[in-house]
Amino acid sequence: MASDTVMTRAPAAAQATGSEPVRPLLEAADLVKHFPIKSGLLGRSNAVVRAVDGVTFSLYPGETLGIVGESGCGKSTTARVLMNLIKPDSGNVLLNGRAPGTPELSLKAFRSQVQMVFQDSYASLNPRLTVEDSIAYGPTVHGVSGSDAVRRARRLLDRVGLDPRRFAGRYPHELSGGQRQRVNIARALALEPKVIILDEAVSALDKSVEAQVLNLLLDLKEEIGLTYIFISHDLEVVRFIANRVMVMYLGRVAEIGPTDALYTGGRHPYTTALLGSMLSMDPDERTMEAPLAGDPPNPIDPPPGCRFHTRCSFAESVCSAKTPVLTVSGTGHFTACHMVDPGSGHSKAAA
Amino acid sequence: MLTYIAKRVIYTLPIMLGVAIVCFLLVHIAPGDPLVSVLPPDASEQLRQQMMALYGFDRPYAEQFLKWLGRALGGDLGTSIRTNRPVVAEVGKAVSNTLMLAALATVIGFVLGSLFGFVAGSFRDTWIDKVASAISVTGVSVPHYWLGMVLVIIFSAQLGWLPPTGAGPGGSDNWVWDWAHIRHMILPAVTMSVIPMGIIARTVRALVAEILSQEFIAGLKAKGMSAFGIFRHVVKNAAPTALAVMGIQLGYLLGGSILIETVFSWPGTGLLLNDAIFQRDLPLLQGTILVLACFFVVLNLIVDVMQTAIDPRIARS
Amino acid sequence: MVQAVAPAMIDDATIERSPGYWSTVWRRFRRDPVAMIALGVIVLLILMAILAPYIAPHDPFRGATLRRLRPPGTPGYLLGTDELGRDMLSRLIYGARLSLFMGVTPVFLALFIGSAIGITAGYVGGIVNTLLMRTIDIIFAFPSVLLAIALSGAMGAGIVNGLISLTIVFIPPIARIAESVTTSVRSLDYVEAARASGAGALSIVRKHVLGNVLGPIFVYAMSLIAVSMILASGLSFLGLGVRPPEPEWGLMLNTLRTALYTQPMLCALPGIMIFITSISFNLLTDGLRSAMDIKA
Repeated sequence: MASDTVMTRAPAAAQATGSEPVRPLLEAADLVKHFPIKSGLLGRSNAVVRAVDGVTFSLYPGETLGIVGESGCGKSTTARVLMNLIKPDSGNVLLNGRAPGTPELSLKAFRSQVQMVFQDSYASLNPRLTVEDSIAYGPTVHGVSGSDAVRRARRLLDRVGLDPRRFAGRYPHELSGGQRQRVNIARALALEPKVIILDEAVSALDKSVEAQVLNLLLDLKEEIGLTYIFISHDLEVVRFIANRVMVMYLGRVAEIGPTDALYTGGRHPYTTALLGSMLSMDPDERTMEAPLAGDPPNPIDPPPGCRFHTRCSFAESVCSAKTPVLTVSGTGHFTACHMVDPGSGHSKAAA
Repeated sequence: MLTYIAKRVIYTLPIMLGVAIVCFLLVHIAPGDPLVSVLPPDASEQLRQQMMALYGFDRPYAEQFLKWLGRALGGDLGTSIRTNRPVVAEVGKAVSNTLMLAALATVIGFVLGSLFGFVAGSFRDTWIDKVASAISVTGVSVPHYWLGMVLVIIFSAQLGWLPPTGAGPGGSDNWVWDWAHIRHMILPAVTMSVIPMGIIARTVRALVAEILSQEFIAGLKAKGMSAFGIFRHVVKNAAPTALAVMGIQLGYLLGGSILIETVFSWPGTGLLLNDAIFQRDLPLLQGTILVLACFFVVLNLIVDVMQTAIDPRIARS
Repeated sequence: MVQAVAPAMIDDATIERSPGYWSTVWRRFRRDPVAMIALGVIVLLILMAILAPYIAPHDPFRGATLRRLRPPGTPGYLLGTDELGRDMLSRLIYGARLSLFMGVTPVFLALFIGSAIGITAGYVGGIVNTLLMRTIDIIFAFPSVLLAIALSGAMGAGIVNGLISLTIVFIPPIARIAESVTTSVRSLDYVEAARASGAGALSIVRKHVLGNVLGPIFVYAMSLIAVSMILASGLSFLGLGVRPPEPEWGLMLNTLRTALYTQPMLCALPGIMIFITSISFNLLTDGLRSAMDIKA
């Protein structure tokens, strides 16, 4: 049902398909973040969780980049590193070519340009603050006067479809999930950012409410000219809303490229398996077996070489020896697989 | 699991050291002359200096502390200024007396408290709950030393059933487990049990109410389990926490027995502490506080470890 | 998307406001008869303490040996006289002042100091947390009665010393609760969202953390008042807190012990006052907890 209404909309796009060089808005260069696990007698860390293990990608103005992957692949951690909520162990995040926390771009200025909407709509809002106070908080931190901030908050409420006269003075527990997420979106907009990261923002909502919020997001993007990063495990939704998609596996990027290219012609075996796991409505296309075998391995002790080789039906010896790098596999399409990389030594690779 | 225990034990050591330092400092912040109970007021300055040197009060604090600690670890807590007997002996005897009383009080408190708490939790928000809860809140709110006095008024002065003070004929040195002696324990133990009873009752009530409201109970009832079977389940789930609380209460009773023991003249650590404070018997004071505090720390450790043994989830948190 | 209302209308419109958290708590509290009675009793006690000079029939310090240990019901001395011939009723009324003061003040001082320590440790985390909380743990390693008596014993009797030792006794439990609540609030999404807005630590603590943390801490502190009252009067009972001839309920229990066999009713009276105060505070705290929907 939702997919019917959803499929008729054509997402607005400003893609970097290589026609003219567009400078990326946000760049992530080789981000690494490991979390030590304390164990043993003296609390030494014997093992680390390799949550993010070398993630590189670019975000272009006006697009929606979808990030998908199984649980534990590092999507949320990547988002938080992008937001500078977690400091990466190594690697850079650049906004318009400038790194946050440097004289060229203060952390505060960075924050006002990159905002996030979280998954849990209830936990994202301070239960003791009214809706308008929650929205107005961000602007006041950046020097906006109290009354101006409240005025801005009320206008934003109106913009996201909540009548300020009814909602501004309410508390989070009095709102429904969908209404709270609208408040969270309004809060993200309050600082007038360029980029909004949506981390599973609609995952917890009922399907019908989800469709409304998605449409709201698309409208706002067109009106204001926003750029989105849309993290989700719901592959249908990502297909609908994203221009480009990035598939992550165990802290690494497996494949990144235009949405259709990945959904219809993915080059990485994981991509085809993941996106092929979407159940089709067509009864002739019934599947009896799951496309992927086994459980996702532990990010604590990932397999050497290509992380996916233990579950890959095309794995060869080179796959456990060398780590694949992102190679061009089409216009604006990159894949990290030895089969795509000429000269990798894989039997399927073009020489 | 063993690593958890080892970690916990190791963690206790700096705490013990801190406790020792605090014990040591406590008596040295005391105003007044440490030798006031030993020297006559007109003692000559020379005698004074000699006594100070004898007791080591004239050395710098750090040195005094290390010496004292070193001896304490070897089992020597100094000599009581007042009685001239070794502190360890005095404290040891007193501790066993207090332990008897505290153990009995804890058991009474635990049994009654669990009863009230269980009843209150099972019949939540009914009149049974209100009565049981009223009893438990009274237990926690009553000034126990006053209650002791009231019990003495009723049972000793008016009715003459039980003796008001002391530890029996011949004092505590000749303790025998016969009625002549045990009757001396009854009033103080009952008085002491009141606060643990209240606390355990409140804890058990909350535990029982929470367990009964969990979904697995509904599942058990749907399976047709009898009331007794459900009772056993509740007990199994509530027991670890309830026992832990009991252990802690025992610790508090050991440390806080002074009030009751003063009312009943029971020759335990509390009374010893009282004497030491008012006689300004510093070695005795130091030694008693140190022993009691260490008891409390070790008791906490044992309770923690046992709780983890019963419920391994705690170790993982 | 069409804007439903013109901007100017939004700015000027009056908005519906929901009742805040504390007014909801008060509303729920009001409906609890036991809690309201307890509150009433405490208010009465406080009034009694404040208005003591106006309602006490006699001077609490004037005694006459001729009038020693008269039983309650003696004409002119409604509740009898104590061991020095002073009017019991007046001493009980005046006693409310010191007893309440000694019971409540340490808890509030400890609330202030302990919260500061705990919230800082909880929000900053890391090594600061470890240092602060381990130090607190050392003090917490002593059972409270023992610590209070040891401190008072070391410093000597007196009101100020008693206050200091009791405050020290109550700082660790409050600090622990404060740290625990702050740590759990800190990891919630809305605090992360506040950080994501670019706010500094002080702003976040003031606007987001305090409002959510002070409630539970305050309720916990209230539950300590009953304990504090018993402990404070216990100190006086031992001769370590308030000194004679000041009227204080615990001290009165001590000095009246000599009359245990001759005039038992007199002995019981000060304890009854302590009991009433203590149980009222406990019931008040219970009611507050239910109204705030916190599980005890």
